[in-house]
Amino acid sequence: MDTRGKTIYKGVGFCSAACGSNLMSIDIDEENDRIIRIRPYHYSETNEDMSAIRPWRIEAKGAVLDPGDKITMGHLQASYKKRIYSPNRILRPLLRVDFDPEHGQRNTQNRGTSGYKEISWDEALDIIGAEMKRIIETYGMTAILTACDGHGETKNVSGTHGCQQRLLSKILDGNYTMQTRQPDSWEGWYWGAKHIWGMDPLGQNNSQTNVVKDIAENGDAVLFWGCDPETTPLGWGGQVPAMIERFFTEIGVKQIHISPDANYSNVAHADKWIPVYPNTDAALQLAIAYVWLTEGTYDADYLSTHAVGFENWAYYVLGGEDGIPKTPKWAEKKCGVPSYTIKALARYWAKHAVSIAHCNGGSFIRAAFAHEPGRLEVALLGMQALGKPGANQFKFLEWSIFGMNTIKPVPGSKRVPSAPAAYRGRERSYAPSMIPKTMIPEALMLGEGERISWYGHINAGLPREDQFTGPYYFPMEGGSRIHMIWADTVSWQTCWNCGNNIQEAFRHENIEFILVQHPWMENDAYFGDIILPSSTKFEDIDMGVDAENGAYDVIYYEDRAIQPRGEAVSDSDVVRKVAEKLDSMGGIFEGVLEKFTEGNDVEDWIQAGYKTTGARKYMSYEEWKEKGVCTLPTREGWEDEPAGLIGFYEDPEGHPMSTPSGKLEYYSSALAQMFPDDKERGPIPRWIDESDKHKDRLWSDRAKDYPFLIVSNHPRWRVHSQHDDVTWLRELGLCKVVGPDGYRYEPVWINPKDAVRIGVKNGDVAAISTERGTVLGGVYVSERIMPNVVYQDHGARVDIIVPGVGGLERAGANNLICPSATTSDNSFGEVTSGFLVNVKKVDVFELARQYPEAFSRPYDKDCGQILASCLEEERN
Amino acid sequence: MKVFVFDSELCNGCYNCHLACKDEHSGNDWSPIAKPQQDTGMFWLNLKQVERGQVPRVKVSNIAHLCQHCDNAPCIEAAPDAVYRREDGLVIIDPEKAKGNRALVDACPYGAISWNVELELPQKCTGCAHLLDDGWTEPRCVDACALKALRFGDAEDFAEEIARSEELRPELGSGPHVYYLNLPKRFIGGTLVDFEADEVVIGATVTLQQEGSEDVLTTTTDEFGDFWFKQIEPARYRLYFQADDYLTRYLDVSTVDEDKSVGDVELFAAPAA
Repeated sequence: MDTRGKTIYKGVGFCSAACGSNLMSIDIDEENDRIIRIRPYHYSETNEDMSAIRPWRIEAKGAVLDPGDKITMGHLQASYKKRIYSPNRILRPLLRVDFDPEHGQRNTQNRGTSGYKEISWDEALDIIGAEMKRIIETYGMTAILTACDGHGETKNVSGTHGCQQRLLSKILDGNYTMQTRQPDSWEGWYWGAKHIWGMDPLGQNNSQTNVVKDIAENGDAVLFWGCDPETTPLGWGGQVPAMIERFFTEIGVKQIHISPDANYSNVAHADKWIPVYPNTDAALQLAIAYVWLTEGTYDADYLSTHAVGFENWAYYVLGGEDGIPKTPKWAEKKCGVPSYTIKALARYWAKHAVSIAHCNGGSFIRAAFAHEPGRLEVALLGMQALGKPGANQFKFLEWSIFGMNTIKPVPGSKRVPSAPAAYRGRERSYAPSMIPKTMIPEALMLGEGERISWYGHINAGLPREDQFTGPYYFPMEGGSRIHMIWADTVSWQTCWNCGNNIQEAFRHENIEFILVQHPWMENDAYFGDIILPSSTKFEDIDMGVDAENGAYDVIYYEDRAIQPRGEAVSDSDVVRKVAEKLDSMGGIFEGVLEKFTEGNDVEDWIQAGYKTTGARKYMSYEEWKEKGVCTLPTREGWEDEPAGLIGFYEDPEGHPMSTPSGKLEYYSSALAQMFPDDKERGPIPRWIDESDKHKDRLWSDRAKDYPFLIVSNHPRWRVHSQHDDVTWLRELGLCKVVGPDGYRYEPVWINPKDAVRIGVKNGDVAAISTERGTVLGGVYVSERIMPNVVYQDHGARVDIIVPGVGGLERAGANNLICPSATTSDNSFGEVTSGFLVNVKKVDVFELARQYPEAFSRPYDKDCGQILASCLEEERN
Repeated sequence: MKVFVFDSELCNGCYNCHLACKDEHSGNDWSPIAKPQQDTGMFWLNLKQVERGQVPRVKVSNIAHLCQHCDNAPCIEAAPDAVYRREDGLVIIDPEKAKGNRALVDACPYGAISWNVELELPQKCTGCAHLLDDGWTEPRCVDACALKALRFGDAEDFAEEIARSEELRPELGSGPHVYYLNLPKRFIGGTLVDFEADEVVIGATVTLQQEGSEDVLTTTTDEFGDFWFKQIEPARYRLYFQADDYLTRYLDVSTVDEDKSVGDVELFAAPAA
């Protein structure tokens, strides 16, 4: 029996922004147009001589870290077939049934709850053409918002996300409005840590070369501070992070987890767990500094040559500024870590070589005032001679982000491969008319003559100084408010702050037309007026690079696995179809098709991309296309490259930080100068208890009504809101909790002590509430979460019962109840973890009686809400 | 003879094994080895997870449950015409001959056979025999395992592992060909604290004695005042805590029902001599 089929290759990563990853081998049955299997790519499949790729290994203390001979996968890749064949796929253009602009019937207030009907491409394009013409001629290009950043399938030529910009920029002045991309998973480092150590553009250590080898040889411990390498990297890489954790276990590098939850790495690999209340890490950090200061166990010599302003900060820590010494006893009351444990940790750290590891997200870095823990961490690393052997900060993911070749802690190729010439997604990082993503809801609902303002372009890729530019305004001078949204990223509600406000915004009469293109009916797509069907990358021809897998970098040609499902076309062909329609209308649209395509077809773009990857050095275009994969060898001499920040440690003048002084700035004169009145992000990092906008402490007045802090990490079973319809995942372990009504609810973890207190048990359904609204969760009683804290991943697929502020949602999309206010007054990050909620048991059968329409929508017990749930004919 | 070796200590609980099995068998018809697995509700390789301990000592252990490909397979005994053992040792349910034979589900004492409602067929792990017969070297679950917790090959190549392995249910005497390493037992852990001094007690000797046994285990508290006994039997124990300048004390702990984090154990300073 032929079991193999034909093998093609696909990058099955979910970053979307051309940051390829997770190369997999795909076996297809061409004759029957079906995918047989998705499996790990073995380097031997396309490399006859394995020695040519220069295999690497790290040996230490009698053990070996060897990335192996394949690109490992995770559950998101292993189950992806079900995403491609999901019953939730949009297969034909959809029209919201009560959207009839020709007769002036827009019914914007019904978005989110209206049904849809399938229409032809021609019908859809007629409406789109007429609406765009009217809106552009009435308000100008700035009236169109391109909602096009965020996570999705990683494609290049196929153009997710932002291909629509490449058409809109060719119409009239091309001045569409764009939402700018936040440093959404590393807010605290971006807004805080940058001001103490620079480290552009992320604010996280950008010198991670050989850090794993250094820790193996010289390190004693790694602090996993709100960090889960068994979860967050899976959409961006494989399981090399897990292999590193296992290696640390084998060689006795102590793995200490500091977080409110016992995450998936903690329960598999940790040597010690220090539970800490969400968003109170700053208190713990300050008390550690207090111990070192009072016991004289920090490196004063190092600070005298590597830091500025240390005395200012030390004065604060010791209580000189506010009369409150930041003692372990002071911290214990805030962070929940016993003072004797704080002292033990501080003393251990002072005696040993300790590094800190991260994976982004969670309440350490995405809560209110996240800039404070972000920079306090660097302040602590500095006190113990940051950069000395075994003492660095490193990450388990995004090992090639922004094309940097110094941020991978394991060996890599000489140059990070990339294919910018093939990329047909987002064409720029900001535009003259722009809106920070965290301010989108209020921007969409602005009244005539109103405007919003902020500092910085709020773009993840820009350097520290950008935070001091502005103020910027929306609408820009002479620009329009938003009247149309063209979205190919439909996850605002499931990824950002206070999504219930965005529901109000999407339903606002300002917004006359919402055009969505997407493969699946989910989340913000429910608010579209017209929805166009995009194909998944398995239906497209494309190319990609994977420098994230942690083994060996690859450049791959992605052949088509199956024909497009239904009437779906690639994301760039969706835009092309709109371009064709507009072009045919002439007038202001004359010639836009040619300008959009630039006369190129898919093959032309792939050829152009191939040329920029570095593959040319190893094989011709034809050979690459035939073979499918070009593997880049490990760079020569990697073993001898200086590890991490050893350069700064040994010679701070020769290897300065990108701060104004070139040193660690415990006192940031730039912040002092630019924002002298900022009480939340002052020149030195402090403990910030509350502000006018954020009162989310267990001792806040609000805690009487909202007594729990919620942790919401990057999800284990999804990349943000992707994959929530995968039947094979939804029946596994802790992915969902089956409620008494058979619905699969998003788990909410509750400590047994709290479960007794509020009277819930496993399998109950709980309402999780703030003043902003309520989402439901399936109760999982567990010792994996500390008392007074509940845990629920973010990104569950929105299932609206009552829309808008104060509303009710069934699937557990907890971004809908997050605070609206940003990180702090001059820091415009999202606050989506570590806030107060109430949790109480609900009777779902009573809710069903109360909201019969929402509870009777068609529902697939294995897949959840599906396309049929919102098709008018299925509902009736 | 083909064997599987599963090391619970190495397993990180990623479910790749189960999902690769779904990917291979759900939606694909590999007759005559296997008909398609149901989309949901079937676990030919079921990764059973056990949450252990209490805050702040919590672990999750994983055990892969799959067909044991037994020497004395009860399923073959129950349906000799429909179930057979290949030369390489893999036990296969013939999807044609076993159709409708629901009793086979109960014949397996390991619960490794499940009922495909749609096809009215008892089904289980085939060791991906269809792949092995086509030149593949290992089943999909093993290829998908990143940490090499689940391995597959010829028995002679795993002699060392087999020698120190356990069976899931040795009392059955079924001669399974899935060998288990480091199956989770119980743990006891805690922290020694001098509350009056507000300090953890470092370097204390902690002795563990099982009730009715003379044997003891001894450890020393680390720099966090922590001690941890791992892979001990479910039993009643007495813990003794001894440290210079502190009164010796003991604590009775049972792991009969569950692993135990005894939390913070207070030690009292000895009166000055």
